[in-house]
Amino acid sequence: MPLAPLDETITITQLIDDPYPIYRRLRAEAPVMRVASVKRTLLTKADLTRAVKDNPLLFSSNDPNTPMRPALRAHTLMRKDGPEHMAERMAMMPAFSPKRIQTDWAPLYEQLAQDYIARLPRGEVVDLFATLCGPLAARILAHILGIPEATDAEMQRWSQRIIDGAGNFGWKPELFALSDEANDEMDALFDRLAPQRIADADGTAYSVMLTAANPIPMSQIYANLKIAIGGGINEPRDALATVLFGLLDNPDQLAEVRAQEAWGKAFEEAIRWVAPIQVSSRLVTEDTELGGFDIPKGETVMTVQASANRDEDLYENGEEFFVFRDKNPHQAFGNGPHHCAGAHIARRTVGKIILPMLFDRFPDMRLVDRDLVAWKGFGFRGPINLPVILN
Amino acid sequence: MVKVIYIAADGTRTEIDAPEGESVMRVALANDVEGIVGECGGAMMCATCHCYVEPDWAGRTGERVSGEEDMLEGAASEVTQYSRLSCQIPLTGALDGLVVRLPEDQI
Repeated sequence: MPLAPLDETITITQLIDDPYPIYRRLRAEAPVMRVASVKRTLLTKADLTRAVKDNPLLFSSNDPNTPMRPALRAHTLMRKDGPEHMAERMAMMPAFSPKRIQTDWAPLYEQLAQDYIARLPRGEVVDLFATLCGPLAARILAHILGIPEATDAEMQRWSQRIIDGAGNFGWKPELFALSDEANDEMDALFDRLAPQRIADADGTAYSVMLTAANPIPMSQIYANLKIAIGGGINEPRDALATVLFGLLDNPDQLAEVRAQEAWGKAFEEAIRWVAPIQVSSRLVTEDTELGGFDIPKGETVMTVQASANRDEDLYENGEEFFVFRDKNPHQAFGNGPHHCAGAHIARRTVGKIILPMLFDRFPDMRLVDRDLVAWKGFGFRGPINLPVILN
Repeated sequence: MVKVIYIAADGTRTEIDAPEGESVMRVALANDVEGIVGECGGAMMCATCHCYVEPDWAGRTGERVSGEEDMLEGAASEVTQYSRLSCQIPLTGALDGLVVRLPEDQI
């Protein structure tokens, strides 16, 4: 079989600015395409992305030589497979279960959402991305992780620096200097809080990991917390901004969502439409084939769930935001062993708490101008501003 | 082929003839049975394929597998002694006619 075709025209800048027309073309013309600028083989159809993630033996996450390692100063569970990944993941999972969220967290999250929403100014233009989506996501995460002593600004700064470091495939020293600084700050906070989280054990991720019968090594407890900080703020932030945009830009759908209280459906549609995590990489462990092409061992394939989520084989008008689709088997949370550990938290906080509260409080909220909303991102994507008027 | 009967929380009954070896989760997905999400694809990582095995069948579907118990803790609906992750129930000849009930919520 031939190797997959090679594209030398697509640029990273194009992918950051607006990848969707490119993905649409790739789905139609070349669903398996080596893209020179990305140095990856892009997979843009839903069956391919799903098959790759369902097969961790052949398509491994275990790649210790990515910038994620220096960025977090650890080989983390995101880049492991098998029992090692499982042990580190399960150490943290009890804190993220729906039951724990309902019993331990829902009242606190409602209070937090209320507080942050109450602070928003009325009758003037306010950027919900900066004033609500980011800070509230940071606050909720700080609590569930068991580090509420960290400020919203710290949480967001650490998260961004981890992400920038983990995506630093150009290996620029200045980006690692920034992530190093964040690591120092996080390590200091974790050191300081550990005795208390052991003495007053609770359902937070940090406490659960520290007080487990067979705890994972301290280095991996820290790594887990950092992965959660890196992966647990931008995604709910971007999901919230995206669903708000989708609803405000489609008043008819908003009215229907309100009537049916279909906030959860709206959330699912938003993350299908613009998945906060757009792509993932997997290392090929044996010579294999995908979509009729040879894929040699050692290559890195990139599953483009952003594209899978608009695949014409699964969705009619997939490019459109439409809450009331018959089926929505999106891959925004991924699949396989690395399925998003925060899926339940995101669904419950954004879909069940924040959205209904916000529209209840501001029934006449409107976008200032849809064209003022800027979208950005290749690996992670969402609006980078959301100017609205609240009444 | 073996028959699997899914009974949704609202009582809707769906009968499927499915090949042996497939999991109860995959058969549901392949046949658009409402009430099973199976988001992680059978990796036992999401607890969105939770089902209740009808008591008469519980002996034949076997014990929960290693790790399943922990993951069931993450199920959205009530977990009972008959709760299983349907991705961990492979269909065999002995399960011809299997009845599973589906919970109200998976996510």
